[in-house]
Amino acid sequence: MLARITDLFENDYGPDGFRTCSVTGLDIHRSAEKYVKLFGLTAVIALVVGGIFAFNVAMTRWELVGLLEPSSYYTHLSMHAWNLLIFWMVFMEIAILYVGGPMILGRRLPWTKVAAAGWVTMVVSAIGVNYSIWTTEAPNQAPLLTAYVPLPVSSLFYGMAILFLVGATIAALPFFVTIWKEKRGRPEATLPLIAFGAFVTGIIAVEAILGGIAAFGYALAWRLEFIATADAGVYRHLYWIVGHGTQQINLVAMITVWYFLTHVVGGAVVVSEKVSRSAFILYLFFINMGAAHHLLVDPGISANWRIWNTSYAFYGAAFASMIHAFAIPAGIEVGRRRRGLGGGLFGWLTSAPWKNPIFAAITFSVILFGFLGGITGVVMGQMQVNMTWHNTFAAVGHFHATVALGTTLAFMGLVFFVVRTMFQRQFVSGFLAMLTPYAYAGAMGIATIMMMYAGILYGVPRRTAEVVRNIPGSDFSLAAATPLFAVFGIFAVLAILGGVCFVAVAVGSLLFGDRINEGDNDDLLPEGGLRSDGGKPVHAYDMRGTFTLCLVFMAVFVASYVLNWYLLTELWAIGL
Amino acid sequence: MTSPTEPPEGNWWDEPVSRRESMWLGIAGIWSIGIFSWMRGFTEFGDQNPTGTTYDVSSEEYRQRVSEYKNAAEDTDRGLVPPGDDVYIGAMRYLWDGLPVVLETGKEYDFHIGSYDVQHGFSIRPEGTLSQQINLQVYPDTEWVIPMTFDEPDTYHVICNEFCGEGHRTMHGTLVVEEG
Ligand SMILES: [Cu+2]
Repeated sequence: MLARITDLFENDYGPDGFRTCSVTGLDIHRSAEKYVKLFGLTAVIALVVGGIFAFNVAMTRWELVGLLEPSSYYTHLSMHAWNLLIFWMVFMEIAILYVGGPMILGRRLPWTKVAAAGWVTMVVSAIGVNYSIWTTEAPNQAPLLTAYVPLPVSSLFYGMAILFLVGATIAALPFFVTIWKEKRGRPEATLPLIAFGAFVTGIIAVEAILGGIAAFGYALAWRLEFIATADAGVYRHLYWIVGHGTQQINLVAMITVWYFLTHVVGGAVVVSEKVSRSAFILYLFFINMGAAHHLLVDPGISANWRIWNTSYAFYGAAFASMIHAFAIPAGIEVGRRRRGLGGGLFGWLTSAPWKNPIFAAITFSVILFGFLGGITGVVMGQMQVNMTWHNTFAAVGHFHATVALGTTLAFMGLVFFVVRTMFQRQFVSGFLAMLTPYAYAGAMGIATIMMMYAGILYGVPRRTAEVVRNIPGSDFSLAAATPLFAVFGIFAVLAILGGVCFVAVAVGSLLFGDRINEGDNDDLLPEGGLRSDGGKPVHAYDMRGTFTLCLVFMAVFVASYVLNWYLLTELWAIGL
Repeated sequence: MTSPTEPPEGNWWDEPVSRRESMWLGIAGIWSIGIFSWMRGFTEFGDQNPTGTTYDVSSEEYRQRVSEYKNAAEDTDRGLVPPGDDVYIGAMRYLWDGLPVVLETGKEYDFHIGSYDVQHGFSIRPEGTLSQQINLQVYPDTEWVIPMTFDEPDTYHVICNEFCGEGHRTMHGTLVVEEG
């Protein structure tokens, strides 16, 4: 078995350490591939840990089951949050940086010892965070994701969280060195779009990490009694730089993966380099301002501060997302039309490789992120509407739509892709692999919508072990929401089974899958191969299918917006 | 070839953008400006804006103010009747000090909210219509004054929606709003 595992890190490299990927055509160096695999595998382990706790958390909130007592619920919730929102995501993101840098640019990974040190630091601190959460004892409380001061949370937790951020920074260094070397070697050349997206992801990550070190450092100083008091408002401002910033890294990394995989398995092209790159630039300047939407119903912040920041300065970042929302499907549409596969309005879409789990995962990620995550993010990010969403289960629904649906699905697609192309293993079950994105996206989508409804229509709070059938010490309860929770509970179980399917295929294929031979991966490629040129320039192709889809998206956006504002104006008068 | 994995060729910045993509940029741009303007405008003409005024006050001092207010209020079996237009509420693990309170419809009250210990979430909804709900964050060492005018008589339930400790879910209080 051990030989089988070490074998996972081997491929046939030439004497210079490079090999050419039969699917992407990229020149891949041994060093880059080894570390992409290492970080990717570690991410999957975090996903398994977080997923186990997802089950316990969901089965507690479904009060019919009522699995855990409050005394353990918050511990399990914290484990769920840290392993999925942070560890699964960040380990994947480092892998994505190594794909977006060295692999795309055809370079070796520089500073491999630093990459190794980063990985060790991240693993040790991730275990440390888990240990500190699991061993929480009164008067300390479980930190959840936010560890809001002055709630007493163990200083070990803050210390380990800081160490993890430092580890991620160390692990990202080889990526930045790659970009630096590339630009020094070829100053006049433009970076490929994927490398550019990865670079923007990296910069946003640095901003988030600095905020995180400041926030947790401040809290740690207070816990160690270097300072007498910790101000809740100061901490919240600092914390959300990382708390929301990490999720912005996820978003930008996810969009980079969208461009990459729709191209490789769907034949997508870049319909306008100028427009897509401008959208990444908008993210660079504005996306972190979106963190302000956590502070919209906090005391002591002026209305103008709230409005300017939560709008990402006139919706600069939301505009950027709407640009990608067009550019990604348009890329598929044009790519397929130039292969002669695009009859009618949606022929390019109906003829797409829906049985390819990588393509299906990416497409569902795009659709569900846009319709469920993106729209709700903007709507709940409006200062006044936020009053109806803040800290309700609807906010939990929003970030499950962005992170658990959007990013996780994209990353699942990427892991499947890596299993086939870098680990060079066949899926142990092609059927289970095909089923995975459908099962996970479908079930998680419904569970997520139920969370939103429970929050918006019944005001069910987040972060409680129970309140729906029973608020202890009161005759009042939110029992009217019980049917929603029945649907939520069932689909949460199904979504977790979808996740089990994913892990079974990914890990099972690594351990028991047949080695890929010459030509075995041809089924991943779009019809007609990766390169196709219809003779016309890209912008001259018809994009009316995408345009129609975007109009549908806009109609749903407008309807959700109007509905939420209608619900708000039904309220009694509040504020000035 | 316009592949995201390869450097773009030639003068890619001056490549024309497709007509449909330009139209979409216009629609998305107008929508972005539109929702920004609506949000900003609502602070001028709207009735629901979570702003108010904030004072720095130590938790002990705030507790003192709530207790003075409680002494001045009339204690009935339905709850406290505030002596004036001010309503003081103090959040602490795991109860709402100052609740239940008896209020009248149509009268503007200044709600003072603050915490004696950790952060809490002030989440109110009328028993009759659960979809009508608001949620505000409560800080220690801060007194937040936010005006509210209720138009429907009902019992409004307050629950904490920020994790404040193990007994968090038991944190419940009521506002009894009567016809004024
Ligand atoms: Cu509380």
